[in-house]
Amino acid sequence: MTDFAGGPGSAASAGSAGHPEAVRTRGLYKRFGQQVAVGGVDLVVPLGSFAGLVGPNGAGKTTTLSMITGLLMPDGGSVEVGGIDVWRDPVAVKAHVGVLPEGLRLFERLSGRELLSYNGQIRGIPKEEVTRRAEELLRVMDLADSADKLVVDYSTGMRKKIALAAALLHNPKVLFLDEPFEGVDPVSANTLVEVLRRYTASGSTVVFSSHVMELVERLCDWVSVMNHGHIVAQGTLAEVRGDHTLNDALLHLVGARGNGEEGLSWLGSSSA
Amino acid sequence: MREGIVVAWLFVRLKLRLIAGNLRGDTMRQVGFVFTLIAAVSVALGGLLLMSLLRLAPADLALDAGMVLFTVLTLIWVIGPLLVFGVDETLDPARLTLFPLTARQMAVGMFAASATGPWPLATLFFLVGAVVGLSRSVTGLLIGLVAAVLQAAFCLVASRAVTTALSRLLRTRRGRDLLAVGVVFVILLTQVPNLLLNQGFGGVPREFLSSLASVVRWGPPAMAAHAIADGGLYGLAEVAAVAAAVLVLTWAWIAALRKAMVTADSSTQLGSVRRSRFDGLLPAGPLGAVVAKELKYLRREPRGRMGWMAAIGFAGILMFSLSSGPGGLSGSALAVAPACIGALMIGLQAANAFGIDGRALWMNAIVYSSARDLRTDFAGRHLAVGLVAVPLLAVLSVAAALFAGHLPWALPALLSSTGLLLVALGVGAVTSVILPYTYPERINAFTSAAPGQGGVAFAGSFGAMLGTTVLALPLVLPVFLGLSWIAVLGIPYGLAVCYGGRRLAATIGYARLPDLLGAVSRPA
Repeated sequence: MTDFAGGPGSAASAGSAGHPEAVRTRGLYKRFGQQVAVGGVDLVVPLGSFAGLVGPNGAGKTTTLSMITGLLMPDGGSVEVGGIDVWRDPVAVKAHVGVLPEGLRLFERLSGRELLSYNGQIRGIPKEEVTRRAEELLRVMDLADSADKLVVDYSTGMRKKIALAAALLHNPKVLFLDEPFEGVDPVSANTLVEVLRRYTASGSTVVFSSHVMELVERLCDWVSVMNHGHIVAQGTLAEVRGDHTLNDALLHLVGARGNGEEGLSWLGSSSA
Repeated sequence: MREGIVVAWLFVRLKLRLIAGNLRGDTMRQVGFVFTLIAAVSVALGGLLLMSLLRLAPADLALDAGMVLFTVLTLIWVIGPLLVFGVDETLDPARLTLFPLTARQMAVGMFAASATGPWPLATLFFLVGAVVGLSRSVTGLLIGLVAAVLQAAFCLVASRAVTTALSRLLRTRRGRDLLAVGVVFVILLTQVPNLLLNQGFGGVPREFLSSLASVVRWGPPAMAAHAIADGGLYGLAEVAAVAAAVLVLTWAWIAALRKAMVTADSSTQLGSVRRSRFDGLLPAGPLGAVVAKELKYLRREPRGRMGWMAAIGFAGILMFSLSSGPGGLSGSALAVAPACIGALMIGLQAANAFGIDGRALWMNAIVYSSARDLRTDFAGRHLAVGLVAVPLLAVLSVAAALFAGHLPWALPALLSSTGLLLVALGVGAVTSVILPYTYPERINAFTSAAPGQGGVAFAGSFGAMLGTTVLALPLVLPVFLGLSWIAVLGIPYGLAVCYGGRRLAATIGYARLPDLLGAVSRPA
């Protein structure tokens, strides 16, 4: 259909460091009333990378991801996924991206199994194929026992897993995950990581936002750092963190001041 | 005492902030709030005027009416917050448990918060009207002012006490689902007096009123009303009794509050749902998927079930009440009217089609990449409604026809009501994309509607009702007037409107899909 299928040799996307790109935004801009949430973001994610989008709360990560996935109208700038403009040719893009947005907003009154089946079918995947993939995903995600419970009764970890299963069902080329590990227990997190690793190993791309630096350091080979609606650093993990830990690099990049010792003199049991 | 005032003032400001914060930067919501204000002001002025007019009525009639109306007012206050409108975060004890407030302070604060807003003010106006209408002496007027304040306090405390006592139930999903459906019964119950009157029970309205008044005579609200009319020592005693009732209720409320603060949610330990065999019969692909999802939602989503039950219930009541009484209909209209009302009420639920999807709508939004996809979505929803509604309307039509005494009338009833349903669905598709709003996440006595939100819903359903009525009139009116054969055109006409509505809605809706998504995923 498009260059999506095109491998590394694809003409449409020659990236900055010679990598083909899975995602590129140019001057992406969004304002909510007086507040500029995203002020001209040029995000680049090379094809096949496990990319982390990090930054403090309110940096504009979620807004950026929403605009990239077509869920929020940008005020300016452009988004290309696989070399195709998201807002000009949504058909080509929507078929090839998977999304796990923040907040776990799911069809609450469907069971896990029904949710997957619904997702597959509105994407036009044949019913038998949907059933086959859904059963497999449910097993891998360790949800087989809860497959017939309503999503409204799922725990946070289960919801993240079923949402990821729904996002993977159509075998997208690029997967966008907003805080996929927030509120997830270690066992479920491990399952999520396993699945995502397998997925990127086959050449697909994952972009996920997080503020757990250790996790990003452990998983990602590409990092984009956002602060106040801008990209402040972007590159391979080694480039971004240099000789420090990613956490230190981030604190330095976003200009976190001091360690709080100058204020808060009243805090602690030594004073009244 | 002083401390109580501080807490009360704090909560009042919190409530005002919540109302203001909810309105910030959203024109639709502001319009909605204006609608709420207009409604509250009309209730306030209407109540004031009508209640004052009781002055012109004979004293005993005015008293009976006053006692009944005071009781009704209290019931509205108790049931209202359990329904969709007019409650907010300031009333959820769970949100306040971490603050170092005693249950007593919390009660003061929550009382102050629930006394803030347009509806409590409207209630006060209504009560002032009652004082004017009922009092027949200067002492009556003075006692009346006290009684009115006490009656307002009784309403507030009763309403708070009931929601707090139910809060444990309301925090479990099953409990909420149950309550949502139970509410429909309560609403239907309000039709019982009407029905009884129509059926000739209780004789003339005047006697009926006085027998009703004698039933509620010793409830605190009726005592408050009686005190105003009495205006003497006896009235004073009654005022004291009402004050005592308010105190007892407050005490019960604080006790319930204490308990509610330390009980937890245990709703996730629930069983599984049965896998649907019906899904296999549906065509594969997007259309079938939407139909399957909608059918499940009809069954499992209490908000949806509520609407359907109300529709059938009201149609049933109408069936009884139309046939008798002075304004009774005759001829085929007897069969047509109930079915059409049922169809209208079912159809109107589609006026905010994406509301039930709410925050989950993104799942569709990231897939739909043309207006056509959205049209398929609407078609699936309409098909699902039709699959359930048409058999129901058939039953209703036959029942109404039998009740009217002429079975063949069932046919025009079914045809015209199905046509009406289709028209409503078509109009509803358009209002769904023009006036989308967030349904509360869950039916819950505490967070069921953020302050100032109820009015957008009103605008949406009012628009849908108006549109449907105008478009369905050429079909339904002739049938109503006896030209039954017109009903044959019902289904083709309805299908045409429905198709047109879907087309228009899909075109508008696809262009503003991200806005739509935002509008139905507000935190509420």
